Amino acid sequence: MAKTYDYLFKLLLIGDSGVGKTSILFRFSEDAFNISFISTIGIDFKIRTIDLDGKKVKLQIWDTAGQERFRTITTAYYRGSMGIMLVYDVTNEKSFENIKNWIRNIEENASADVEKMILGNKCDLEAKRQVSKERGEQLAVEYQIKFIETSAKDSLNVESAFYTLARDIKAKMEKKQKEASNPAGARSGAHQIRANEQQRKPTSWLSRCSLL
Amino acid sequence: MDDDLPTDFQVIVVGTGMVESIVAAACSRIGKNVLHLDSSDHYGGLWASYNFDGLQKFIKEVNSDPKRQLQVYNLAEKWYIEKESAQDEKKEEGGEEKPEEAKAEPAKKVWSQANFSAEYRKFNIDMTPKLLFSRGPLVELLISSNIARYAEFRCVTRVLTWLNDRLMPVPCSRADVFATEAVGIVEKRQLMKMLTSIVGYNEEEMNNEFKDWNDKTFKEYLAHKGLTPNLIHYVLYAIAGGTNNMPCLEGVKECKKFLMSLGRYGNTPFLWPMYGSGELPQCFCRLCAVFGGVYCLNRPIDKVQTKTVDEGKTVVTIDSKSKTLNCDHLVIGINECPKDLISPEPAESSDISKAVFITNGSIMKNDKEPLTLLRFPPQSDDDHAVTVLEVGPATGSCPKGLFVVYFITNKVKDAESDLMGIAEKIFDMSGGDQTAESEKPKCLWSLFYNVKDTSAAVASVADCLHVCSGPDAGLDFDRAVEQAEQIFKKICPGEEFLPRAPDPEEIVFEDDVTHGPEFQREHDDEADGDAPKE
Repeated sequence: MAKTYDYLFKLLLIGDSGVGKTSILFRFSEDAFNISFISTIGIDFKIRTIDLDGKKVKLQIWDTAGQERFRTITTAYYRGSMGIMLVYDVTNEKSFENIKNWIRNIEENASADVEKMILGNKCDLEAKRQVSKERGEQLAVEYQIKFIETSAKDSLNVESAFYTLARDIKAKMEKKQKEASNPAGARSGAHQIRANEQQRKPTSWLSRCSLL
Repeated sequence: MDDDLPTDFQVIVVGTGMVESIVAAACSRIGKNVLHLDSSDHYGGLWASYNFDGLQKFIKEVNSDPKRQLQVYNLAEKWYIEKESAQDEKKEEGGEEKPEEAKAEPAKKVWSQANFSAEYRKFNIDMTPKLLFSRGPLVELLISSNIARYAEFRCVTRVLTWLNDRLMPVPCSRADVFATEAVGIVEKRQLMKMLTSIVGYNEEEMNNEFKDWNDKTFKEYLAHKGLTPNLIHYVLYAIAGGTNNMPCLEGVKECKKFLMSLGRYGNTPFLWPMYGSGELPQCFCRLCAVFGGVYCLNRPIDKVQTKTVDEGKTVVTIDSKSKTLNCDHLVIGINECPKDLISPEPAESSDISKAVFITNGSIMKNDKEPLTLLRFPPQSDDDHAVTVLEVGPATGSCPKGLFVVYFITNKVKDAESDLMGIAEKIFDMSGGDQTAESEKPKCLWSLFYNVKDTSAAVASVADCLHVCSGPDAGLDFDRAVEQAEQIFKKICPGEEFLPRAPDPEEIVFEDDVTHGPEFQREHDDEADGDAPKE
């Protein structure tokens, strides 16, 4: 199979319902914005390959599938994630306050060295703003996480947010690879199961049964 | 905050165990409006995995309020290590003084209870550890439904048995066979002939080979075939996972299942889910949610009633946190189910004895981290076999340097009496010096418990109520998959069971879309999924 990318990063979107996670995902992956509220039905993850310093980086960005609504995100959602976008809505105070809860949730379930970034979305709705940019910055400093205000609707900072997160993950990864004597990650050897396993000839059981 | 929970659904599923979760996913997938609840704050019910902290909470909960967790009893936790270790203190005192010495040859770690607490998140301990047969129904379902993309697996690297008072590898691959001296050439020929007839067996047309063996044991059949005692041991105990009384045809079926799953993914016929079996129900929940299922944990239900509305249609109403929820079908896990919904109550069948051990090494040392299935043969004629699964850090089950070992058998007396004898054969249970070189790994922590076997089909009192049974003592998930499909077919007759979910690339949105400003972007020419390049 031809090389199609140098790195694959699994990224997650996390935050309260209605803050615009799916819109951010669509803006970044499809360059589209649906004005009507997009419910998350049917959306699992989206893929976009970007170019970072000459490397092809495939970003697999997972949506919550609405399981954030009653705080019932599966622990499985966090498995293997390398970067997390924490999203709140600048017009919704509660969603901002909940960022702390989501960070706790991440600390409990995600890998300890996962890269995080806080996004204050809907910054185009200046008239309805409840959370100032300064408060967002302050929170980010408190947790030592990068922060940026975005508008999925106006396509503001969405690109740069994902590029920043991806670049940070890449840097961390390359640093680790340099340090580690064994380049293979701890999780090497785990794999997903697929239908198209190596096609053996219509199998007589003898070819499979290697007991003998 | 649960107040905006909608109240009307086509299907409400209560409990996030394996069967419930598969049914929820299947219903949601074909467009049913599904609500999925669980009384506890985590997924999985009796099928859950816990980190070490979560496990402590679970133990406390069961022991303090035995009425709540009726399915689990005789829970006994024991430590074999100190609360704090001397090593910890040393580290604090002179941590960075001698870095070179530390690098040279790391002394074997002395684990303390405090270490376990500190690294609690690195544990994923299963209440219902199970394997998947590489060509079994769950693997096929995960692939055909595309739910496989939510999970990762590791191959079981070896199958062991207990023969002549020691652990012996069971040859599974050609390479194993060449390496082993345990099976001679004549024996190999015998074995091959016998296995050929087993693979030829099929239930519909009872062929001649087995037609006279209906009422005899598998052991008798193997002896009749002239197999040597060693070969009988391998086939009966290690491959078929049987006992001396195993009926012949059951043994044949089990062997065939084993043989048919060889050669698909790894050296053995088995897969183990990364982070434990408790991940799998969550994968089905994810699919349910992706297709619009609504999730709410920490949501106990109080009362279930059925009432007939116009045109003889029956609906189910559920009281939960002073809210009334309505649905056409209620699917409910046996652990969440009010007693009056089950008729008759499940018979007092043979319950399950289980144990979990955390050790400081593998039961049989290996250069590469092993993932082991050991089927411990019955110790006497009327005894049960014991299934032993050993998983290491690479599976996400525990921190480096440790192994988690599960024991599962049918209950005779209680979990501890049923299993302690075998634990002592393969572990050092003395609790002594962890750095001492020894044949057997040290047991650092153990948990024994019994679980009610509610895997027998449970009848419910009404057509619109579907009670899901709990975990069985079997090695795989086959019964759960089978039951889930049966329940689904009752709720949605004629509908396809978990048709393939589209890949994200295949979904085309036809909503009105306003385009944002143009920007340059890399063309994603990928159409081949996520195969890492090599």
